[in-house]
Amino acid sequence: MDDVLETTINTLAVGGLYALIALGYTLVYGILRFINFAHSDVVAWGGWLALSIAGVFGWTAAGGAPAIAVPVVLVLTMAVCAAMGVTIERLAYRPLRKAPRLNVLITAIGVSLLLQNVGILDGVFGNKPDTIRPLLANSVLGEVGAVQLRLYDLMTIAVTIALVVGLERLVYGTRMGRAMRAVSHDERTAALMGIDVNRVITVTFAIGSALAAAGGILFALRNDLRLTADASWVLLGLKAFVAAVVGGIGNVRGAAAGALLIAFVEVFVHRYVGAVFADKPWVSQLQDIYVFGILILVLLFKPSGLLGKAAVEKV
Amino acid sequence: MTGASSGAGHPALETRALSLSFGGLKAVSEFSLAVPVGGLCGLIGPNGAGKTTVFNLLTGVYRPDEGEVLLGGVRVDGRKPSYIARCGMARTFQNIRLFGELSVLDNVMTAGGVRTRSGLFRTLLRTPLHVAEERALAERALALLDVLGIAHRRDEQAKSLPYGDQRRLEIARALATEPRVLLLDEPVAGMNTQEKRAMRALIQSLREQFGVSILLIEHDMGLVMEICEQITVIDHGVTIARGAPAQIQNDPAVIEAYLGVPDDAAAAAGPEGAA
Repeated sequence: MDDVLETTINTLAVGGLYALIALGYTLVYGILRFINFAHSDVVAWGGWLALSIAGVFGWTAAGGAPAIAVPVVLVLTMAVCAAMGVTIERLAYRPLRKAPRLNVLITAIGVSLLLQNVGILDGVFGNKPDTIRPLLANSVLGEVGAVQLRLYDLMTIAVTIALVVGLERLVYGTRMGRAMRAVSHDERTAALMGIDVNRVITVTFAIGSALAAAGGILFALRNDLRLTADASWVLLGLKAFVAAVVGGIGNVRGAAAGALLIAFVEVFVHRYVGAVFADKPWVSQLQDIYVFGILILVLLFKPSGLLGKAAVEKV
Repeated sequence: MTGASSGAGHPALETRALSLSFGGLKAVSEFSLAVPVGGLCGLIGPNGAGKTTVFNLLTGVYRPDEGEVLLGGVRVDGRKPSYIARCGMARTFQNIRLFGELSVLDNVMTAGGVRTRSGLFRTLLRTPLHVAEERALAERALALLDVLGIAHRRDEQAKSLPYGDQRRLEIARALATEPRVLLLDEPVAGMNTQEKRAMRALIQSLREQFGVSILLIEHDMGLVMEICEQITVIDHGVTIARGAPAQIQNDPAVIEAYLGVPDDAAAAAGPEGAA
């Protein structure tokens, strides 16, 4: 029983993290029909920018950060990353709005490499790993049976729920959300109804990048800050991308559902399948394989994703 | 005729020598037209004559190579479609282009949102201004659906509506942008006689009820001749006739464009004369 509770908490925390990042992929895809490969680098920059912002306030020493440190850093980092996402769109993607999708895709990979390599420059974030853990100690808030409820896990879950609910309300309950859905459905007709498509795209990138920043901070709290060029960020982004595809790319609720499924597979395989094959450690070490295996299965049997609708080719 | 019946002195919509080529093909050539304020004008022509291309030029989907588009005397050619829509030009589509995944009400509210004032932050924070605007928007959208007779379908997905109701919803959505000029692209295409009759009454009532001036593309000659005050006929992008319905019906150039040249006349004119 304790086991189940602990793996459930882990699943929710890891899944929440993936969901925050997956939403960025799915929002941008929903509007522009292209995969923003630079998204995982915005996540990485989010983690590192949080460190820089904490440094500005002098909150980098262990125990030196007040209780409001995390909310302040979170909000500021999200704002900076939102501006960053908007800038990337303006400079790199907007000029290619009418170009073939492949050009935009390759540009996105270029932006990704740029962010990775600018990030490790000395004057930027540098080429040594770091940590933002001094911002907040991972204290134990309580115990249920033998299971410790740790602050990082609960915070990740709480922040994710708050942001996903907020996004849901934005997309399905506001004028901007309606405009986003209209543009997603038919950009040209939306423009003819007076919707400023560029503004909608700007807002989409701002929201996606802000969520990525939150994901980056939560990931960095749990895993420390690897270099911006480190492959672990790409893997994180890739899993979030898989979550978005599994849930049905372009679908906000699907991204959250896909993220939970991916996290479930990862955590439970690690825990239970690993325990069954205790003498064969490679079985649980292959957890990434299972994640991408899910992707293959979904693409084979339900290519539009779990919550996605079968795409009707427009003619 | 320019401005003849316009109170402010400007026609609601005016074009001056609009031209557009696709590669070497002249799709629209020196197209001039004036829709007086409160007027109901028709634009007809055989298939492929360039009627919808004219609508695309008017709404900014295409940028004219030459010529001007004036909305209430103000030039709007070369502007973005969203800007032109905000200036008061709204349209429907020959092939219905609703936001199919959105509800009927959301379709109308999407178009109505362009005139509200609260920005993104107010939206996110749900300030009283935003909440009040949303409520007013929804009420107005519902009123429009009511006028179009589809209010009872407000929560259905737009794509699930029957065909005739989809056309009505397109008109409701266009009206939600509070247009001065309404462009209707084949509003009765695919409708039966009864539906056509209802649509005709509706189109006529829109003028008084919403104070819009209407330009109509339609293949149904009966409808066009009955309700339009002035008709422009184009063929291969060239204006071949313009006038009151009675004039148009008897215009030899129009008859030729629609029916072709009679055999004996074609023989007399030689092979070059047969268009």
